Amino acid sequence: MILTGLAMVITIAGAIIAATRRNIVHAVFGLAIALLGVALAFLSLGSPFVAAMQVLIYIGGILIAMVFAVMLSRTATHAEPDGLWRRVFAVIAAALLFVAIAPALVNADFGPAPAVADGAWSLKVIGSSLLDRYNVVFELLSVVLLLAIVGAIAIARREPGSDDDPTAAGGGGA
Amino acid sequence: MTLETWLLFALAVFCLGVYCVLGRRNLIVILIGIELMLNAASVNFMAVNHFLSPHPEVGQIIVLFVIGLAAAEAAIALSIILAVYRQRKSIDVADLHELKG
Repeated sequence: MILTGLAMVITIAGAIIAATRRNIVHAVFGLAIALLGVALAFLSLGSPFVAAMQVLIYIGGILIAMVFAVMLSRTATHAEPDGLWRRVFAVIAAALLFVAIAPALVNADFGPAPAVADGAWSLKVIGSSLLDRYNVVFELLSVVLLLAIVGAIAIARREPGSDDDPTAAGGGGA
Repeated sequence: MTLETWLLFALAVFCLGVYCVLGRRNLIVILIGIELMLNAASVNFMAVNHFLSPHPEVGQIIVLFVIGLAAAEAAIALSIILAVYRQRKSIDVADLHELKG
């Protein structure tokens, strides 16, 4: 119970930091806090395996790539210009979405609890169903990841013969 | 902790992500908003799986797929951001209007 409350508070706080801070580095660290909170939420929902994957892949991979992009694009020191109307519009849109969906969630009837008790899963079951029942999805996902890597290199590569200053941006890509 | 609490929590995170995408002008912050929305969806899957599913492993497998797709999406998005920055010396969405009709 304490873990659940802690996870929710950490996630919301991190998401608020990420959404509101004008310094990009602060926003990225807010996302790190939020991702850690989501990992805690997975832990309190009874899945330490997915929590570990969340920390490894999100915080260890995606977040590092974002920090690289922030450093390479040198926007960390430039505060975002003030788009007041855009923000007001965004707050109204987000609040409307919340108000529209929240009552439906609270009033929904989800039916009786399932027959299987908590903790009936194991890593063995996850692994065997990844390679058995969900094999096609698993293989498709690896193809998607391969295409994403090749595409990312192709997009971020510096064009040969372009007028870029080769010393300006440091490394060659993400 | 009931299922409704978890769903409301995920909805709050999702709405913060929507604010990030609509209200900010930096492409990296917009990507952060998309990641927040994906995480809210993952929390929903895990919560519904925990409380309602007779097969406790299905939700975890779906969340693993979501995490993998998020990694692919982040790689593509960050490379596009770098390419845009290299051309325009800016990653402010207000500066990107070539495709405007």
